[in-house]
Amino acid sequence: MNIKKIMHVENLTHFYGNQIGCKGINFDLYKGEILGIVGESGSGKSTLLKCLSGEISPSAGKINISLDQGGVKDFLSLPEQEKRQLMRSMWGIVHQNPRDGLNLRISAGGNIAERLLNVSEKNYSHLRNTGKYWMEKTEMDSDRIDEFPIGFSGGMQQRLQISKILSSNPQIVFMDEPTGGLDVSVQAKILDTIKSIVRDINVTMIIVTHDLAVVRFLTDKLLVMKDGIVVETGLTDRVLDDPQHSYTQLLTSSILQV
Amino acid sequence: MKTGFNFAYLDEATKRMIRRKILKAICIPGYQCPFGGREMPLAYGWGTGGIQVTASIIGKQDILKVIDQGADDTTNAVSIKNFFKRVCNIMITDRTAEASLIQTRHRIPETTLNKDQIIVYQVPQPEPLRKLEPKEKETRKLHAYKEYALMHVKLYEEISQFGSVIKTWAYPVETNNRYITDPTPIPKFDNPKMNNMEALQLFGAGREKRIYAIPPYTKVKSLDFDDHPFEIQTWDECCSICGSTKSYLDEIIINNEGKKNFICSDTDFCKSNLEKNK
Repeated sequence: MNIKKIMHVENLTHFYGNQIGCKGINFDLYKGEILGIVGESGSGKSTLLKCLSGEISPSAGKINISLDQGGVKDFLSLPEQEKRQLMRSMWGIVHQNPRDGLNLRISAGGNIAERLLNVSEKNYSHLRNTGKYWMEKTEMDSDRIDEFPIGFSGGMQQRLQISKILSSNPQIVFMDEPTGGLDVSVQAKILDTIKSIVRDINVTMIIVTHDLAVVRFLTDKLLVMKDGIVVETGLTDRVLDDPQHSYTQLLTSSILQV
Repeated sequence: MKTGFNFAYLDEATKRMIRRKILKAICIPGYQCPFGGREMPLAYGWGTGGIQVTASIIGKQDILKVIDQGADDTTNAVSIKNFFKRVCNIMITDRTAEASLIQTRHRIPETTLNKDQIIVYQVPQPEPLRKLEPKEKETRKLHAYKEYALMHVKLYEEISQFGSVIKTWAYPVETNNRYITDPTPIPKFDNPKMNNMEALQLFGAGREKRIYAIPPYTKVKSLDFDDHPFEIQTWDECCSICGSTKSYLDEIIINNEGKKNFICSDTDFCKSNLEKNK
């Protein structure tokens, strides 16, 4: 089977003044792959995600992306309009805090509809059905489609954010600590939901987290970051079961063995 | 009559500046063009934008009509008419068909406008996205990149809550397949009149210092969904003065028992309809 490479990152570097954000990052991302980025606080993983998703423009390096329609493009030199268009349809970010990704003043259905309207869907009943479909897919009660997300629990808001992003059938989804602020049982349920959906629709994902359980559960490949550089990379099971770098060894051994 | 003012109150340099902006606005239909708005002897919110646009294009041959909510005899209309009578010494009319320049607040006349006429709208809020996106920097980007999903989300919300779009005035339109434009607080009854109108439509917002325009024969489409098409208001009653069933009706409470009466909001239309029917 020929697997398509959809993102190629070369020597990606970002400085905040003299401070290193991330430095010399290289990796390839293939279609349907789930890449985890782990590391402690301040290790540059969020900086890396921001560079990849176009939120900040890196000091140096190259990001080549290949889109479904047509060839390879240099992401960093795309005009702002195309970057925004990508973020609004073909790509998507799931923020740690669902309030960053949702509009709390509009209903759950409206939040999902916004994403679809960005790709010029102008049929009300279709918007409605797609909204309900994705709410059910993320194990929400689709009867609550007209309720406002402000009345949802944290876990529900996160589910809503995920269904909003996935509703436009994106090529790449960026997740920044998707289960960050949630309690353990809700975390587990959401991870279950994410896992069943991604296998279902074959979406490509980059997940940033400090939670090794999340990457073990979801990801295929892993980048371990420390002080802005990648110290170890490989298949998730290999990295976690047979860590080579001393920092990764420290990281894996710091999980409480109950 | 000597007033001590230049013709049409504004000085010539200011008029030229506003005319340049009007030309730019006509070139980019629906685009909000910033201009150096002046203080006028009128409070913001009473038509300072419209009055500046009118003042910069008015000529000695022009015949001016000013309407407020469709009526020629309401405070705003009367005071603006008196202002131009004083500073321009020009002809004023109530007849839509006679006027070459019409300044309006909240209505488009029922009589179809022709290619020799210009209609100037007073604009309370030129930015249709303002209530959806408070940041000016962001709304400019949304316009520039044609990212108008927010506007449709608003309509979606109304349909999901009330079963249909309940917005009945300032109903957003798309001009020339490009810019989403605020048609000013005209009732949505008037929206179809904007489409392919023969007359030039100019919009002036004094407080926000923006001018925009819809050139003659330009496509103006009210936003809707494929399965919830745009509809205008209808009434079961007819005008109690002239009996018209085609015009926009105002509901008027006429006694303490709450008895209602419906009359045309366009007073000129009502009068001429009455004469015709006699």
